[in-house]
Amino acid sequence: MARLILQRLLVSLIRFGGAILVLLVLVEFAYCVLGGSGNHVWLYDSYGPVPPELTSRPVNWAGLFFDRLAATLPVAGLAFGGILLIGYSWGVMGARLRRFHLARILSAPFSAFACIPGFWFVVLVAIYSYFSWQRPGFANDLIVEDGPNLLAWWHAAVIALPAMALGAAWQIREVSGVLEREVALPYVKGLHLAGYSDEDIFYGNAFRRAVPLLISVSDRTLSSVVGSLICLEYAFRFPGSGALLVESVKLQSYAGIFVSALSLSLIVSVGVLLRDWILKLVQPE
Amino acid sequence: MANRRNSKVVSSSTRALVRAWQVRRALFLVVPYFFLLLWLFTGGVHMDVRPGELYEVPSEPAWEKPNAEHWFGTTGEGADLFDLSRHAMATSVAVAVVSVALGIGLALLFTALYVFDPGKKRFQLLYMMSRGGYIVPSMVVLVILAGASGGSLGVAIFGLILVIAFHLSPVLANWFQEGESGFDVTAGYVLGLSRREIVLHRVFPKVLRRLPGVFASLVPPVVLIEMALSFLGLTGDRLSCGAMIAYGQAMIIEAPWMAISPGIMASGVVLILSLLGWRVSAALQIGPLPRIF
Repeated sequence: MARLILQRLLVSLIRFGGAILVLLVLVEFAYCVLGGSGNHVWLYDSYGPVPPELTSRPVNWAGLFFDRLAATLPVAGLAFGGILLIGYSWGVMGARLRRFHLARILSAPFSAFACIPGFWFVVLVAIYSYFSWQRPGFANDLIVEDGPNLLAWWHAAVIALPAMALGAAWQIREVSGVLEREVALPYVKGLHLAGYSDEDIFYGNAFRRAVPLLISVSDRTLSSVVGSLICLEYAFRFPGSGALLVESVKLQSYAGIFVSALSLSLIVSVGVLLRDWILKLVQPE
Repeated sequence: MANRRNSKVVSSSTRALVRAWQVRRALFLVVPYFFLLLWLFTGGVHMDVRPGELYEVPSEPAWEKPNAEHWFGTTGEGADLFDLSRHAMATSVAVAVVSVALGIGLALLFTALYVFDPGKKRFQLLYMMSRGGYIVPSMVVLVILAGASGGSLGVAIFGLILVIAFHLSPVLANWFQEGESGFDVTAGYVLGLSRREIVLHRVFPKVLRRLPGVFASLVPPVVLIEMALSFLGLTGDRLSCGAMIAYGQAMIIEAPWMAISPGIMASGVVLILSLLGWRVSAALQIGPLPRIF
């Protein structure tokens, strides 16, 4: 088991190294080939100290990386946690009641919500907050200095909600689809003929057999969710890694771009690694 | 005895009619698409409208709240926001249509490089690249490309094409593999057809039949992404609902409809496109697509 876990870790590290390489090539191509800049990624002068526009307190790049990652993690956790919770519970329910097309009905509200531009939604929340609650609505307007910082969780939830809607509908349909394909296999008909009850066939056989497949689709929305945070954080003026990427791109700060892009890639990479480990625990062969 | 065999023209037109009947549900959906695009692209707004100039507030603003005459309200200069939003959405939809069409074409071209190889692991490199590339979110690539070029729409479209092709290639590869496992393909091999003939005449048509569904499913998310990029100010000073919302934020207190109205139009159009895309993909049975954005 330890060998399998270390093997997946090595694969994950190699992929992350590949992502770093891709980002280096991308920045070089984008800025030097398309943008005509003379600052190449391999030149030391291209990376300076942290510009004051990117931080409110004196900090180095490593500090900024951890600050922004710490702000983004709760948002990503809320969004992705919500997707898994809703996607799996409602997806299983949808597959169980497939004759009523329940998966489609359950995913419809999320699909409809995903049609609303997420950045517009967070701006609307800010407008509503201003007019109805008489307080500034954007994330950088108020800072809690004493007591539990519940406001930070409110801000995280506002950003996580549209990001979650994007993935939840997809996850419900995918989970339901995996189970429906499993239930359509010939052995299920055999179990029916042998006198097993519907419930026993679904939960005791089909679901149990589909567990590895269900785990394998658990991380499919992670990359898009993390990507959507870039625009949502910037729109809500939330000081996370996504907003840092946009600010760094506008300031042409290579170090800022790498710090933010790598922290976003790290979140996806860790998610994929956890999925791989759980899959290996469930199905070692 | 007279030769009763049909002429080539008759047989090919019969085949075309049969195929059209098979995809009649998808063809029927062309009508609402036509009306939606007609409505979007027939407006009285000039193409050189700049949101920066449009959202400038004069010393004595002439804006109006949403009312019976101006459903979405007006700008500080008195321009109707409904017409402007419609024009902005037309641009976004046009960008999405071009990007998705070229992205699908590039993905098909890229996959076709491997299709004629008879080896069982021919798509291995494609799958490996896809798994590795998954950890860099597509939006990161688009923001870097569009931002570095100084807000060029052409570069944004180029980025969208690359991202779509990259994520779609493994899906097409799967479909090619599925297509090769059919009974007709086995029969073709038994009858002595060459691999090239089988791929071109048996497998390719099966994949091509699904592509309109892929196109219809991908257009709505790409419209949203285009708006997101323009909201971030990365596609230049060009009229788009994203840019209108971004400029409207500055007037949240005085004229909140300047930020609210374009979003309503955008949500409505994307919702209609999504519903149509869902019906087209269901009619063509394309199955689940990966989440690209």
